[in-house]
Order: sequence, then C-alpha cells, then structure tokens
Amino acid sequence: MTDYATVVYDDEEMIRSLKENERPKRKAEEELFNRHVYFIKEGMNKYSLDQEDAFNAYSDTILQAIDNIVKTRFESRSTIKTYLYRIFNNKCVDLIRKKTTHKSSIHQTAPVSDMLEMISDPAKTIIQELIEKNDMALLQTKLDETGENCKKLLAMFAEGFSDKEIANSMEYKSADVVKTSRLRCLDKLRQLYNAKKS
Amino acid sequence: MDNIEYIEGYFKGNHDAAQKKDFEKKILEDALFAEEVAFYISANGVIQEQLQKEKKQRFREIYEQQKVISIKQPVTSIWKYLAAACVIVAVLLTTWFFSSAKNSPRQLADTYLQQNWQTLPVTMGKPDVLQTGIQFFNSGNLPGALNVFESLVKTNPENNAAEKYAGIVSLRLGDYDKALKYFTMLEADTNLYSNPGKFYKAITLMERNKSGDEDAARLLLKQVKDGNLEGKTEAAEWLKKF
Repeated sequence: MTDYATVVYDDEEMIRSLKENERPKRKAEEELFNRHVYFIKEGMNKYSLDQEDAFNAYSDTILQAIDNIVKTRFESRSTIKTYLYRIFNNKCVDLIRKKTTHKSSIHQTAPVSDMLEMISDPAKTIIQELIEKNDMALLQTKLDETGENCKKLLAMFAEGFSDKEIANSMEYKSADVVKTSRLRCLDKLRQLYNAKKS
Repeated sequence: MDNIEYIEGYFKGNHDAAQKKDFEKKILEDALFAEEVAFYISANGVIQEQLQKEKKQRFREIYEQQKVISIKQPVTSIWKYLAAACVIVAVLLTTWFFSSAKNSPRQLADTYLQQNWQTLPVTMGKPDVLQTGIQFFNSGNLPGALNVFESLVKTNPENNAAEKYAGIVSLRLGDYDKALKYFTMLEADTNLYSNPGKFYKAITLMERNKSGDEDAARLLLKQVKDGNLEGKTEAAEWLKKF
C-alpha cells in the first residue's frame, strides 16, 4: 500500500492521480493546492490584494486547473506550475478589474456552458434563454431538500464517478439501482423546483 | 423520468449524429421538452457549483491550518533560521579547515546528516500518528520519535514513510544496525515512486565506518548513481572524493 500522504508527485503522476477517483484524487488535489500555496502571498504583494481575495483567486485557479486536467484540456505544453501561474495571474487581474468596475464577485467557472456548447444552434439559443430564466438560488435550496442521499448520489455522478463506482462506494446492489435512484433524485428535484416556482 | 434518461444520454455522448439531430429538433418543436433540457443543465450547474464550494472549503481549512502553524511557531521559525545559519557557518568553517584534505566517508555522511536530518518535513493536513513522530523528532525527542515510528511500522509494515523515519532516527541515535534494518525494508518497497533506501544504507555504512563498510558503501553509491536512483547527485560527488 502506498502512503499517499508522502508521495511526491511529478507532473505526470499528478495528472494521472487527478483523473482517478476518491482517495488518490483527493490527495492529489490537496497536494496541488499545497504545492503552490505561496502564490497567495505573491498575489498579495504583486497585485496588492487582501488575503481573502488572494486566497479566492488561488483556490479558483486550482479548481479551474483540476477541471481542465480532468477534461484533458491541459495538454502538458508547459509545466503544471507555469500553467497555474498563468491562470492565477489572469484571475488576479480579473479580480482587480471587477473590483474597479464595482462588481463584487470573482469570475466563477460555469459548468453550465460546457453542456450548452454541445447543443447546436438554434436549439442552443432556446435552451440558453430558458436557463437564464431558471432561478439558480431556488434550485440550490431545493437540491438541499432532496436529502443527503440524493445530494451525494448527484454530486458523485457530477464529479465523474460511474454508476458502478457509486454502487461500490455507497453500497448499492448494482449500477442499475444507482442509475434508477439517481434519475429519481433528479426527478424529485424537478418536482420540488416546479412546485415552488409555480 | 424517461426524458431525463434520454437527455442524460445526449450529454454523455451516447447519441449518434441522427439521434442528436432528432434531439435538437425536439427542443425546437416541444417547449416542455426544451424546459426539461434547460432544467437538466441548470441542475447540473448547481450541483457542480456545490461541489466546487465544498472543495474550496476544504482548501480553506488546509490554508487556515497552515496559518495557525505559522502563527503558533514564530519563535521556532526564528530558531530554525538561526540553526540553519549556524549550520551554514559550520559547513563553511569545516570546508575552509579541510579544504586541502580529502573528505573521508564519515565526514561526508556527518555533513549530510547535519544538513538534511536535523529536522523532518511537516506535512500539512490533519494531524496523524506520523506527524506526532515528526514533531517529537523536530523537538529533539528522538527516543519518543523512534517509539512512534516503530509502532507505526509494526501496525502497518507497508508504511514506507514510517520505515524511512525509523531509520533516520536510529541513525541519529547511533543505532546503525537498526537504521540498516529499516532502510533495507524501505529499499524493498516497490510501491514508492522514488526510493532512497539504497542511498540511506550507504550513508549509514559511511557513518558506522567499520571495517568493510567503506567498500560496501562505495558499492551501494555506485548502484545509486548507475541506477539513477534518489541520491544520485550526492553519490556521484562522493564517489569522486572517496
């Protein structure tokens, strides 16, 4: 058994571990965060950000990098450090720009856009307009009301776990049972949301 | 629920070109279906955002822990810098003093010990037994540290970090046979990405300096150098000086 707490990752190993699931992935995420945490101080010095803003810029950087690595958008043309540094600088500049234009929040990653990009026009435009009408805050509240089990099922699937992996992790009988339960949870969420909306 | 499965199939890439066309046509012709698709994407976005929030919270906890450690130990940090400065001065003096003499294996091992094994790296994260041992070591409680690392090795013989640290503490305590035992166990661990076991065994033999140890250490260093193993830079340098 490898002690992941003491594994020293090179870039290749890091990318591989981030694409795995559960413990190795979690460890790799934390290792990636820890490895370049000094960027926060640099953000404070170079861009005169306060600690909270520099932390937000850095953690958003790590989250975006993880997402890109997992979705194989990072093509290893530079080291992970250089890649992170570039994203971090952009986040800091973005943050300053938003602050000077009196917008309070830093740019958030938009998982919605990934799915939207899969649809061709003109259907895409219709869906985009409908999404803009959706009340995301209400949806978030209703997601909480679906219960811990549903939340966990949906979260694991959204993170990239297969139904089989979820079945193993949450001790379901089979992947089919997971799929049925997961779709029921989504249906429940829709009913809760529609009931409140109407 | 059938529609949800159908929608999910589309976004998972299970549909062929014709099915995709049908799907998008249905969006244009069936307002209720379009709403379901928009809901599916929105729900997915909310779930993903929740996940990101949780990860960010985890990062915050790690970061806060690091801040607590650095606030709690300002004096220690100063002493660490002073200790490091002392080591540098000592090394400079030693280098100057012995500049004309050839370095003996014992001196090389001593210098390595002084430069690398006065403190062990503290890993950020939730405190565990390994970290307790490291804290004992760094505070100078070597027997306490050895107890912790040995009990860890006993309960989990595959814990390579505990093996490594048990070896280092034994070496610092002058128990060379025990150090060799743990470094041999470490060397045998094939799970490690980078295994310093062989190099550490060479250092122990150089430090013990019994009859035959120098030859055995030289052989190990050569294997480290030729095998491109951890410690190869030092090994190459030392082999020249032997």
